[in-house]
Amino acid sequence: MKTPKQKKYGLATVLGLMIILTGWNAFSEKGGVVQTIKNATSTFDNGSVESVPPVPEDTVLAQVRYQGGTFRVETRKDKVKRFQCSQCHNNQPVAIANAVETAHGDITLNHGDKVKQLACFTCHDKDNRDVLITEKGTKVDMDHSYQLCGQCHFRQKKDWIGGAHGKRVSWWAGERVVKNCASCHDPHAPRFEKRWPKTYSRPFTE
Amino acid sequence: MGFLKNKSGRQQITDEHRPCQDSGRREFLKKAVKAAAIGGTAVVTGCQAPGLLGSKEEFALQFQEYFKAHYRLMTEKERDTTITRLERLAKLQKNVDVQISSKEAMPGVLFGYGFNVTRCEGYMECVSACVRENNLDRKSNMQYIRIFEMEPGQMTPDAGQGKFFNEVPVDGRFYMGAQCNHCDNAPCIKACPTKATYREPDGIVVVDYDWCIGCRYCMAACPYYGRRFNWNEPVVPVKEITKKQHYLGNRQRRRGQMEKCTFCVQRTREGRLPACAEACPTGARIFGNLLDPKSEIRFVLENKKVFRWKEELGTDPKFWYFID
Repeated sequence: MKTPKQKKYGLATVLGLMIILTGWNAFSEKGGVVQTIKNATSTFDNGSVESVPPVPEDTVLAQVRYQGGTFRVETRKDKVKRFQCSQCHNNQPVAIANAVETAHGDITLNHGDKVKQLACFTCHDKDNRDVLITEKGTKVDMDHSYQLCGQCHFRQKKDWIGGAHGKRVSWWAGERVVKNCASCHDPHAPRFEKRWPKTYSRPFTE
Repeated sequence: MGFLKNKSGRQQITDEHRPCQDSGRREFLKKAVKAAAIGGTAVVTGCQAPGLLGSKEEFALQFQEYFKAHYRLMTEKERDTTITRLERLAKLQKNVDVQISSKEAMPGVLFGYGFNVTRCEGYMECVSACVRENNLDRKSNMQYIRIFEMEPGQMTPDAGQGKFFNEVPVDGRFYMGAQCNHCDNAPCIKACPTKATYREPDGIVVVDYDWCIGCRYCMAACPYYGRRFNWNEPVVPVKEITKKQHYLGNRQRRRGQMEKCTFCVQRTREGRLPACAEACPTGARIFGNLLDPKSEIRFVLENKKVFRWKEELGTDPKFWYFID
Protein backbone atom coordinates (compact mmCIF):
# COMPACT_ATOMS: atom_id res chain seq x y z
CA MET A 1 0.00 0.00 0.00
CA LYS A 2 1.52 3.31 -1.11
CA THR A 3 1.29 6.38 1.03
CA PRO A 4 0.35 9.71 -0.63
CA LYS A 5 3.94 10.90 -0.06
CA GLN A 6 5.35 7.94 -2.01
CA LYS A 7 2.86 8.65 -4.80
CA LYS A 8 4.02 12.27 -4.91
CA TYR A 9 7.67 11.26 -5.22
CA GLY A 10 6.81 8.71 -7.89
CA LEU A 11 4.95 11.31 -9.94
CA ALA A 12 7.83 13.78 -9.59
CA THR A 13 10.35 11.16 -10.76
CA VAL A 14 8.27 10.27 -13.79
CA LEU A 15 7.79 13.94 -14.67
CA GLY A 16 11.51 14.62 -14.26
CA LEU A 17 12.39 11.70 -16.46
CA MET A 18 9.97 12.92 -19.11
CA ILE A 19 11.50 16.37 -19.12
CA ILE A 20 15.02 14.95 -19.40
CA LEU A 21 14.05 12.60 -22.21
CA THR A 22 12.26 15.33 -24.16
CA GLY A 23 15.27 17.58 -23.76
CA TRP A 24 17.60 14.83 -24.88
CA ASN A 25 15.41 14.12 -27.86
CA ALA A 26 15.33 17.77 -28.88
CA PHE A 27 19.09 18.06 -28.40
CA SER A 28 19.91 14.98 -30.47
CA GLU A 29 17.95 16.35 -33.42
CA LYS A 30 20.12 19.44 -33.46
CA GLY A 31 23.32 19.60 -35.47
CA GLY A 32 21.70 20.42 -38.80
CA VAL A 33 22.84 18.95 -42.05
CA VAL A 34 26.10 17.64 -40.60
CA GLN A 35 24.17 15.48 -38.14
CA THR A 36 21.86 14.34 -40.93
CA ILE A 37 24.88 13.22 -42.92
CA LYS A 38 26.39 11.41 -39.95
CA ASN A 39 23.12 9.58 -39.36
CA ALA A 40 22.91 8.44 -43.00
CA THR A 41 24.84 5.17 -43.08
CA SER A 42 22.88 3.05 -45.53
CA THR A 43 24.09 3.19 -49.12
CA PHE A 44 21.91 4.67 -51.82
CA ASP A 45 21.17 2.30 -54.67
CA ASN A 46 22.54 4.31 -57.58
CA GLY A 47 21.08 1.80 -59.99
CA SER A 48 17.58 2.76 -58.86
CA VAL A 49 17.69 5.99 -60.87
CA GLU A 50 15.95 4.86 -64.04
CA SER A 51 16.83 7.81 -66.24
CA VAL A 52 20.56 6.96 -66.23
CA PRO A 53 21.66 5.38 -69.52
CA PRO A 54 23.92 2.32 -69.68
CA VAL A 55 27.64 3.01 -69.21
CA PRO A 56 29.51 4.34 -72.26
CA GLU A 57 31.31 1.77 -74.38
CA ASP A 58 34.73 3.39 -74.13
CA THR A 59 35.10 2.53 -70.44
CA VAL A 60 36.75 -0.32 -68.64
CA LEU A 61 36.45 -1.69 -65.12
CA ALA A 62 39.18 -0.21 -62.93
CA GLN A 63 41.68 -2.49 -61.25
CA VAL A 64 41.27 -0.70 -57.92
CA ARG A 65 38.24 -0.45 -55.69
CA TYR A 66 36.75 2.68 -54.17
CA GLN A 67 34.93 2.78 -50.85
CA GLY A 68 34.31 -0.91 -51.14
CA GLY A 69 32.88 -0.86 -54.67
CA THR A 70 34.01 -1.17 -58.26
CA PHE A 71 34.05 1.66 -60.77
CA ARG A 72 34.84 2.23 -64.42
CA VAL A 73 37.43 4.47 -66.09
CA GLU A 74 37.59 5.95 -69.57
CA THR A 75 39.77 4.00 -71.97
CA ARG A 76 42.91 5.41 -73.51
CA LYS A 77 44.07 2.94 -76.14
CA ASP A 78 41.26 3.72 -78.58
CA LYS A 79 42.09 7.44 -78.34
CA VAL A 80 45.80 7.09 -79.08
CA LYS A 81 46.35 7.66 -82.78
CA ARG A 82 48.21 4.81 -84.51
CA PHE A 83 47.82 2.34 -81.65
CA GLN A 84 49.17 -0.45 -81.70
CA CYS A 85 52.65 0.91 -81.27
CA SER A 86 54.13 -2.47 -82.19
CA GLN A 87 53.10 -1.90 -85.78
CA CYS A 88 56.30 0.09 -86.18
CA HIS A 89 58.21 -0.72 -83.02
CA ASN A 90 58.71 -4.45 -83.45
CA ASN A 91 62.27 -4.97 -82.21
CA GLN A 92 63.72 -3.85 -85.52
CA PRO A 93 65.03 -0.41 -86.35
CA VAL A 94 62.40 1.80 -87.98
CA ALA A 95 63.67 2.34 -91.53
CA ILE A 96 61.60 5.38 -92.51
CA ALA A 97 63.19 8.76 -93.12
CA ASN A 98 62.13 11.41 -90.58
CA ALA A 99 60.02 8.82 -88.76
CA VAL A 100 60.37 10.54 -85.39
CA GLU A 101 59.27 13.89 -86.74
CA THR A 102 56.36 12.41 -88.71
CA ALA A 103 54.97 10.14 -86.03
CA HIS A 104 55.80 11.88 -82.75
CA GLY A 105 56.53 15.46 -83.76
CA ASP A 106 53.46 16.72 -81.88
CA ILE A 107 54.86 15.60 -78.53
CA THR A 108 56.50 18.23 -76.37
CA LEU A 109 57.91 16.70 -73.25
CA ASN A 110 57.38 18.89 -70.20
CA HIS A 111 56.91 16.48 -67.34
CA GLY A 112 58.88 16.38 -64.14
CA ASP A 113 61.09 19.02 -62.65
CA LYS A 114 63.11 21.18 -65.03
CA VAL A 115 66.20 19.72 -63.41
CA LYS A 116 65.12 16.12 -63.88
CA GLN A 117 62.89 15.82 -66.92
CA LEU A 118 61.29 12.45 -67.53
CA ALA A 119 62.41 10.59 -70.61
CA CYS A 120 60.38 8.35 -72.96
CA PHE A 121 61.47 5.18 -71.28
CA THR A 122 60.65 6.37 -67.78
CA CYS A 123 57.08 5.35 -68.56
CA HIS A 124 57.13 3.46 -71.89
CA ASP A 125 58.41 -0.10 -71.96
CA LYS A 126 61.48 -0.36 -74.20
CA ASP A 127 60.83 -3.97 -75.15
CA ASN A 128 57.08 -3.88 -75.63
CA ARG A 129 55.93 -0.47 -76.80
CA ASP A 130 52.25 -1.34 -76.41
CA VAL A 131 52.45 -1.14 -72.63
CA LEU A 132 53.81 1.17 -69.96
CA ILE A 133 56.27 0.15 -67.29
CA THR A 134 56.65 1.19 -63.67
CA GLU A 135 59.92 1.83 -61.88
CA LYS A 136 59.61 -1.60 -60.34
CA GLY A 137 59.29 -3.19 -63.76
CA THR A 138 55.59 -4.00 -63.65
CA LYS A 139 53.90 -3.72 -67.04
CA VAL A 140 50.84 -1.45 -67.04
CA ASP A 141 48.10 -1.41 -69.64
CA MET A 142 47.51 2.03 -71.19
CA ASP A 143 43.86 1.93 -70.11
CA HIS A 144 45.02 1.65 -66.50
CA SER A 145 47.64 4.39 -66.59
CA TYR A 146 46.61 5.53 -63.07
CA GLN A 147 48.73 2.62 -61.82
CA LEU A 148 51.74 4.26 -63.44
CA CYS A 149 51.00 7.90 -62.58
CA GLY A 150 50.25 6.88 -58.99
CA GLN A 151 53.89 5.93 -58.43
CA CYS A 152 54.81 9.57 -57.91
CA HIS A 153 51.38 11.20 -57.65
CA PHE A 154 50.20 8.85 -54.93
CA ARG A 155 48.24 11.55 -53.09
CA GLN A 156 46.35 12.42 -56.24
CA LYS A 157 45.74 8.75 -56.91
CA LYS A 158 44.25 8.25 -53.45
CA ASP A 159 42.00 11.27 -53.93
CA TRP A 160 41.08 10.16 -57.44
CA ILE A 161 40.01 6.73 -56.26
CA GLY A 162 37.90 8.25 -53.51
CA GLY A 163 36.45 11.00 -55.68
CA ALA A 164 38.14 14.21 -54.50
CA HIS A 165 40.44 14.51 -57.55
CA GLY A 166 39.32 14.16 -61.14
CA LYS A 167 35.71 13.97 -62.11
CA ARG A 168 32.83 11.71 -62.92
CA VAL A 169 31.59 11.54 -66.48
CA SER A 170 28.31 13.42 -66.71
CA TRP A 171 26.20 11.42 -64.22
CA TRP A 172 26.25 11.42 -60.43
CA ALA A 173 23.87 8.45 -60.36
CA GLY A 174 24.26 5.09 -62.00
CA GLU A 175 27.46 3.08 -62.10
CA ARG A 176 30.47 5.23 -61.26
CA VAL A 177 32.37 6.22 -64.41
CA VAL A 178 35.34 8.54 -63.94
CA LYS A 179 37.82 10.23 -66.23
CA ASN A 180 41.21 8.60 -66.49
CA CYS A 181 44.41 10.55 -65.80
CA ALA A 182 45.11 11.06 -69.48
CA SER A 183 41.51 12.14 -70.21
CA CYS A 184 42.30 15.55 -68.72
CA HIS A 185 46.11 15.70 -68.50
CA ASP A 186 48.41 15.39 -71.47
CA PRO A 187 50.77 12.72 -70.11
CA HIS A 188 53.75 14.40 -71.81
CA ALA A 189 52.97 17.88 -70.46
CA PRO A 190 50.48 17.37 -67.63
CA ARG A 191 50.24 20.88 -66.25
CA PHE A 192 47.23 22.89 -67.49
CA GLU A 193 48.20 25.80 -69.70
CA LYS A 194 47.64 29.44 -68.89
CA ARG A 195 44.85 30.87 -70.98
CA TRP A 196 42.16 33.52 -71.11
CA PRO A 197 38.94 32.74 -69.22
CA LYS A 198 35.95 31.59 -71.23
CA THR A 199 33.83 34.51 -70.05
CA TYR A 200 34.06 37.35 -67.56
CA SER A 201 32.62 37.79 -64.13
CA ARG A 202 30.35 40.53 -62.98
CA PRO A 203 31.50 42.50 -59.97
CA PHE A 204 30.30 41.42 -56.54
CA THR A 205 28.37 44.56 -55.78
CA GLU A 206 26.94 46.51 -58.66
CA MET B 1 -2.47 35.88 -55.09
CA GLY B 2 -1.04 34.47 -51.90
CA PHE B 3 -2.60 37.12 -49.76
CA LEU B 4 -6.02 36.71 -51.30
CA LYS B 5 -6.06 33.04 -50.48
CA ASN B 6 -4.59 33.47 -47.04
CA LYS B 7 -7.21 35.95 -45.89
CA SER B 8 -9.54 33.22 -44.69
CA GLY B 9 -7.04 32.62 -41.91
CA ARG B 10 -7.02 28.83 -42.00
CA GLN B 11 -5.66 28.69 -45.55
CA GLN B 12 -1.99 28.88 -44.57
CA ILE B 13 0.64 27.22 -46.72
CA THR B 14 2.62 24.87 -44.50
CA ASP B 15 6.13 23.60 -45.16
CA GLU B 16 4.91 20.13 -46.05
CA HIS B 17 2.93 18.91 -48.99
CA ARG B 18 -0.71 19.10 -48.06
CA PRO B 19 -3.72 17.67 -49.84
CA CYS B 20 -6.06 20.46 -50.79
CA GLN B 21 -9.19 20.46 -48.70
CA ASP B 22 -11.34 23.04 -50.35
CA SER B 23 -11.87 21.49 -53.74
CA GLY B 24 -15.32 23.02 -53.93
CA ARG B 25 -14.02 26.54 -53.75
CA ARG B 26 -11.17 25.78 -56.12
CA GLU B 27 -13.53 24.27 -58.66
CA PHE B 28 -15.67 27.37 -58.43
CA LEU B 29 -12.63 29.59 -58.92
CA LYS B 30 -11.54 27.59 -61.91
CA LYS B 31 -14.93 27.93 -63.55
CA ALA B 32 -14.95 31.63 -62.81
CA VAL B 33 -11.50 31.98 -64.34
CA LYS B 34 -12.52 30.12 -67.44
CA ALA B 35 -15.60 32.26 -67.83
CA ALA B 36 -13.50 35.38 -67.33
CA ALA B 37 -10.94 34.15 -69.85
CA ILE B 38 -13.62 33.71 -72.46
CA GLY B 39 -15.06 37.07 -71.62
CA GLY B 40 -11.64 38.72 -71.63
CA THR B 41 -10.79 37.25 -75.00
CA ALA B 42 -14.06 38.54 -76.38
CA VAL B 43 -13.26 42.01 -75.10
CA VAL B 44 -9.77 41.97 -76.56
CA THR B 45 -10.83 40.80 -79.95
CA GLY B 46 -13.69 43.26 -79.91
CA CYS B 47 -11.72 46.38 -79.09
CA GLN B 48 -8.15 45.93 -80.31
CA ALA B 49 -6.41 44.95 -83.45
CA PRO B 50 -5.28 41.28 -83.36
CA GLY B 51 -1.59 40.86 -82.63
CA LEU B 52 -1.28 43.61 -80.10
CA LEU B 53 -1.62 41.23 -77.16
CA GLY B 54 -0.81 38.11 -79.14
CA SER B 55 -3.35 35.69 -80.46
CA LYS B 56 -6.65 34.80 -78.82
CA GLU B 57 -5.21 31.53 -77.60
CA GLU B 58 -2.12 33.16 -76.16
CA PHE B 59 -4.17 35.66 -74.23
CA ALA B 60 -6.45 32.94 -72.88
CA LEU B 61 -3.50 30.85 -71.78
CA GLN B 62 -1.81 33.76 -70.08
CA PHE B 63 -5.04 34.63 -68.34
CA GLN B 64 -5.42 31.11 -67.00
CA GLU B 65 -1.77 31.04 -65.95
CA TYR B 66 -2.46 34.06 -63.82
CA PHE B 67 -4.86 32.16 -61.58
CA LYS B 68 -2.93 29.00 -60.86
CA ALA B 69 -1.98 27.74 -57.39
CA HIS B 70 1.37 27.61 -55.67
CA TYR B 71 3.42 24.73 -57.06
CA ARG B 72 3.40 22.84 -53.77
CA LEU B 73 -0.38 23.03 -53.46
CA MET B 74 -1.07 21.87 -56.99
CA THR B 75 -2.43 18.40 -57.58
CA GLU B 76 -0.78 16.17 -60.16
CA LYS B 77 -3.46 17.12 -62.66
CA GLU B 78 -3.08 20.83 -62.06
CA ARG B 79 0.68 20.55 -62.58
CA ASP B 80 0.16 18.80 -65.88
CA THR B 81 -2.31 21.45 -66.98
CA THR B 82 -0.02 24.35 -66.20
CA ILE B 83 2.91 22.62 -67.89
CA THR B 84 0.85 22.04 -71.01
CA ARG B 85 -0.07 25.71 -70.97
CA LEU B 86 3.55 26.83 -70.50
CA GLU B 87 4.80 24.59 -73.28
CA ARG B 88 2.09 25.88 -75.61
CA LEU B 89 2.92 29.48 -74.67
CA ALA B 90 6.60 28.91 -75.48
CA LYS B 91 5.55 27.53 -78.84
CA LEU B 92 3.27 30.50 -79.54
CA GLN B 93 5.65 33.20 -78.35
CA LYS B 94 9.06 31.93 -79.41
CA ASN B 95 8.26 28.99 -81.66
CA VAL B 96 10.34 26.55 -79.61
CA ASP B 97 9.26 23.09 -78.46
CA VAL B 98 10.25 22.94 -74.81
CA GLN B 99 9.69 20.00 -72.49
CA ILE B 100 8.95 21.14 -68.95
CA SER B 101 9.34 18.47 -66.30
CA SER B 102 7.73 18.36 -62.87
CA LYS B 103 9.85 15.49 -61.59
CA GLU B 104 9.70 15.10 -57.83
CA ALA B 105 12.69 14.69 -55.54
CA MET B 106 14.04 11.16 -55.26
CA PRO B 107 13.72 9.56 -51.82
CA GLY B 108 16.99 9.08 -49.95
CA VAL B 109 18.73 11.89 -51.80
CA LEU B 110 20.17 15.09 -50.32
CA PHE B 111 22.31 17.05 -52.73
CA GLY B 112 25.61 18.51 -51.66
CA TYR B 113 28.43 20.32 -53.39
CA GLY B 114 32.17 20.46 -52.93
CA PHE B 115 34.41 23.17 -54.36
CA ASN B 116 38.14 22.49 -54.52
CA VAL B 117 39.88 25.80 -53.90
CA THR B 118 43.26 24.32 -54.81
CA ARG B 119 42.17 22.98 -58.18
CA CYS B 120 40.08 25.85 -59.52
CA GLU B 121 42.11 27.82 -62.05
CA GLY B 122 39.60 30.52 -62.93
CA TYR B 123 38.88 29.37 -66.48
CA MET B 124 35.19 30.31 -66.04
CA GLU B 125 33.94 27.35 -68.07
CA CYS B 126 31.37 26.70 -65.32
CA VAL B 127 29.89 30.19 -65.60
CA SER B 128 29.52 29.90 -69.34
CA ALA B 129 27.91 26.45 -69.10
CA CYS B 130 25.54 27.68 -66.39
CA VAL B 131 24.37 30.61 -68.50
CA ARG B 132 23.63 28.31 -71.43
CA GLU B 133 21.97 25.57 -69.39
CA ASN B 134 19.74 27.77 -67.28
CA ASN B 135 18.61 30.18 -70.03
CA LEU B 136 19.97 33.17 -68.17
CA ASP B 137 19.29 36.68 -69.38
CA ARG B 138 21.91 37.70 -71.93
CA LYS B 139 20.86 41.35 -71.97
CA SER B 140 21.87 42.10 -68.38
CA ASN B 141 24.60 39.43 -68.56
CA MET B 142 23.18 37.53 -65.59
CA GLN B 143 25.37 34.86 -64.00
CA TYR B 144 24.64 32.61 -61.04
CA ILE B 145 28.28 31.73 -60.41
CA ARG B 146 31.01 34.17 -59.57
CA ILE B 147 34.69 33.31 -59.51
CA PHE B 148 37.11 35.36 -57.44
CA GLU B 149 40.83 35.74 -57.77
CA MET B 150 42.22 35.52 -54.27
CA GLU B 151 45.48 36.52 -52.66
CA PRO B 152 47.07 33.97 -50.33
CA GLY B 153 45.55 34.13 -46.86
CA GLN B 154 42.18 35.48 -47.92
CA MET B 155 39.43 33.19 -46.72
CA THR B 156 36.21 34.70 -48.03
CA PRO B 157 35.23 35.73 -51.56
CA ASP B 158 34.17 39.17 -50.27
CA ALA B 159 37.86 40.00 -50.07
CA GLY B 160 38.77 38.62 -53.50
CA GLN B 161 39.02 40.27 -56.90
CA GLY B 162 35.81 39.54 -58.78
CA LYS B 163 36.66 41.45 -61.93
CA PHE B 164 39.94 39.86 -62.93
CA PHE B 165 40.90 40.39 -66.55
CA ASN B 166 44.07 38.47 -67.28
CA GLU B 167 45.32 35.09 -68.33
CA VAL B 168 44.63 32.50 -65.65
CA PRO B 169 45.88 31.04 -63.44
CA VAL B 170 48.15 33.76 -62.07
CA ASP B 171 51.06 32.36 -60.07
CA GLY B 172 50.61 32.75 -56.34
CA ARG B 173 46.88 33.38 -56.49
CA PHE B 174 44.00 30.98 -56.04
CA TYR B 175 40.41 31.00 -57.26
CA MET B 176 37.21 30.67 -55.32
CA GLY B 177 33.68 30.33 -56.64
CA ALA B 178 30.52 31.65 -55.05
CA GLN B 179 26.96 30.68 -55.84
CA CYS B 180 23.80 29.67 -53.98
CA ASN B 181 24.82 27.55 -51.00
CA HIS B 182 21.44 25.79 -50.71
CA CYS B 183 21.32 26.32 -46.96
CA ASP B 184 19.39 23.88 -44.85
CA ASN B 185 18.40 26.79 -42.66
CA ALA B 186 18.07 29.36 -45.40
CA PRO B 187 17.51 33.02 -44.53
CA CYS B 188 15.97 33.69 -47.93
CA ILE B 189 13.13 31.24 -47.24
CA LYS B 190 12.38 32.98 -43.96
CA ALA B 191 12.39 36.38 -45.63
CA CYS B 192 10.00 35.51 -48.44
CA PRO B 193 6.56 36.99 -47.72
CA THR B 194 4.69 34.84 -50.25
CA LYS B 195 6.47 31.52 -49.58
CA ALA B 196 7.45 31.49 -53.23
CA THR B 197 10.88 30.22 -52.30
CA TYR B 198 11.19 27.01 -50.31
CA ARG B 199 13.32 23.96 -49.69
CA GLU B 200 12.58 20.85 -51.70
CA PRO B 201 12.89 17.43 -49.97
CA ASP B 202 16.24 16.79 -51.67
CA GLY B 203 17.66 19.95 -50.13
CA ILE B 204 17.48 22.26 -53.15
CA VAL B 205 16.21 25.76 -52.45
CA VAL B 206 13.91 26.68 -55.33
CA VAL B 207 11.68 29.55 -56.40
CA ASP B 208 8.15 29.20 -57.74
CA TYR B 209 8.68 32.02 -60.21
CA ASP B 210 4.99 32.71 -60.68
CA TRP B 211 4.47 33.28 -56.96
CA CYS B 212 7.38 35.65 -56.67
CA ILE B 213 6.21 39.24 -56.26
CA GLY B 214 9.69 40.66 -56.81
CA CYS B 215 10.10 42.31 -53.41
CA ARG B 216 13.79 41.24 -53.26
CA TYR B 217 13.71 40.60 -49.50
CA CYS B 218 15.44 37.27 -50.17
CA MET B 219 18.20 39.04 -52.05
CA ALA B 220 18.82 41.23 -49.03
CA ALA B 221 18.62 38.27 -46.66
CA CYS B 222 21.08 36.04 -48.52
CA PRO B 223 24.58 36.32 -47.02
CA TYR B 224 26.13 34.57 -50.05
CA TYR B 225 24.91 36.96 -52.77
CA GLY B 226 23.27 33.93 -54.35
CA ARG B 227 20.12 35.50 -55.77
CA ARG B 228 19.53 37.35 -59.00
CA PHE B 229 16.72 39.69 -59.95
CA ASN B 230 15.26 40.19 -63.41
CA TRP B 231 15.33 43.94 -63.86
CA ASN B 232 14.34 43.55 -67.48
CA GLU B 233 12.47 41.00 -69.53
CA PRO B 234 15.05 38.20 -69.95
CA VAL B 235 16.49 37.93 -73.44
CA VAL B 236 17.68 34.51 -74.62
CA PRO B 237 18.50 33.89 -78.28
CA VAL B 238 15.96 31.35 -79.55
CA LYS B 239 18.72 29.12 -80.93
CA GLU B 240 20.41 28.89 -77.54
CA ILE B 241 17.35 28.04 -75.44
CA THR B 242 17.82 24.82 -73.45
CA LYS B 243 14.66 22.92 -74.30
CA LYS B 244 14.81 20.38 -71.50
CA GLN B 245 13.39 22.37 -68.63
CA HIS B 246 11.95 21.97 -65.17
CA TYR B 247 9.10 23.92 -63.63
CA LEU B 248 11.33 24.92 -60.71
CA GLY B 249 14.48 25.21 -62.79
CA ASN B 250 15.40 26.77 -66.09
CA ARG B 251 11.98 27.52 -67.57
CA GLN B 252 11.24 30.97 -68.93
CA ARG B 253 11.34 33.70 -66.26
CA ARG B 254 9.76 37.11 -66.56
CA ARG B 255 10.68 40.62 -65.58
CA GLY B 256 10.34 41.27 -61.85
CA GLN B 257 10.98 37.71 -60.77
CA MET B 258 13.75 36.43 -58.57
CA GLU B 259 15.85 33.52 -59.69
CA LYS B 260 18.84 31.55 -58.47
CA CYS B 261 20.98 28.47 -58.86
CA THR B 262 18.87 25.32 -58.47
CA PHE B 263 21.75 22.81 -58.69
CA CYS B 264 20.33 22.38 -62.23
CA VAL B 265 17.23 20.63 -60.89
CA GLN B 266 16.28 19.61 -64.44
CA ARG B 267 19.52 17.65 -64.72
CA THR B 268 20.25 16.43 -61.19
CA ARG B 269 16.83 14.86 -60.64
CA GLU B 270 17.52 12.76 -63.72
CA GLY B 271 20.84 11.65 -62.25
CA ARG B 272 23.09 13.99 -64.22
CA LEU B 273 25.67 16.34 -62.81
CA PRO B 274 24.89 20.09 -62.75
CA ALA B 275 26.11 21.94 -65.83
CA CYS B 276 28.91 23.65 -63.90
CA ALA B 277 30.30 20.40 -62.50
CA GLU B 278 30.17 18.77 -65.92
CA ALA B 279 31.86 21.72 -67.63
CA CYS B 280 34.68 22.20 -65.11
CA PRO B 281 37.94 21.33 -66.89
CA THR B 282 39.95 20.90 -63.69
CA GLY B 283 37.61 18.71 -61.65
CA ALA B 284 37.32 21.31 -58.91
CA ARG B 285 33.59 20.78 -58.58
CA ILE B 286 32.28 17.71 -56.78
CA PHE B 287 28.59 16.95 -56.67
CA GLY B 288 26.68 14.07 -55.14
CA ASN B 289 24.27 12.56 -52.71
CA LEU B 290 25.09 13.44 -49.10
CA LEU B 291 23.05 10.54 -47.74
CA ASP B 292 25.08 7.94 -49.64
CA PRO B 293 28.26 6.96 -47.73
CA LYS B 294 29.81 5.76 -51.00
CA SER B 295 29.39 9.03 -52.87
CA GLU B 296 32.27 11.32 -53.81
CA ILE B 297 30.98 14.22 -51.78
CA ARG B 298 30.97 12.05 -48.65
CA PHE B 299 34.57 11.04 -49.37
CA VAL B 300 35.49 14.71 -49.58
CA LEU B 301 33.74 15.55 -46.34
CA GLU B 302 35.37 12.68 -44.49
CA ASN B 303 38.91 12.84 -45.94
CA LYS B 304 39.66 16.42 -46.96
CA LYS B 305 40.02 19.69 -45.09
CA VAL B 306 36.62 21.26 -45.65
CA PHE B 307 35.04 24.50 -44.55
CA ARG B 308 31.82 26.34 -45.20
CA TRP B 309 31.56 30.01 -45.98
CA LYS B 310 30.08 32.09 -43.12
CA GLU B 311 29.24 28.96 -41.17
CA GLU B 312 28.96 31.06 -38.02
CA LEU B 313 25.69 32.54 -39.30
CA GLY B 314 23.96 29.21 -38.70
CA THR B 315 22.59 29.02 -42.23
CA ASP B 316 23.84 25.43 -42.52
CA PRO B 317 24.92 25.51 -46.17
CA LYS B 318 25.29 22.35 -48.26
CA PHE B 319 28.20 23.84 -50.18
CA TRP B 320 31.66 22.98 -48.89
CA TYR B 321 34.99 24.44 -49.92
CA PHE B 322 37.97 22.17 -49.56
CA ILE B 323 41.70 22.16 -50.19
CA ASP B 324 43.98 19.39 -51.37
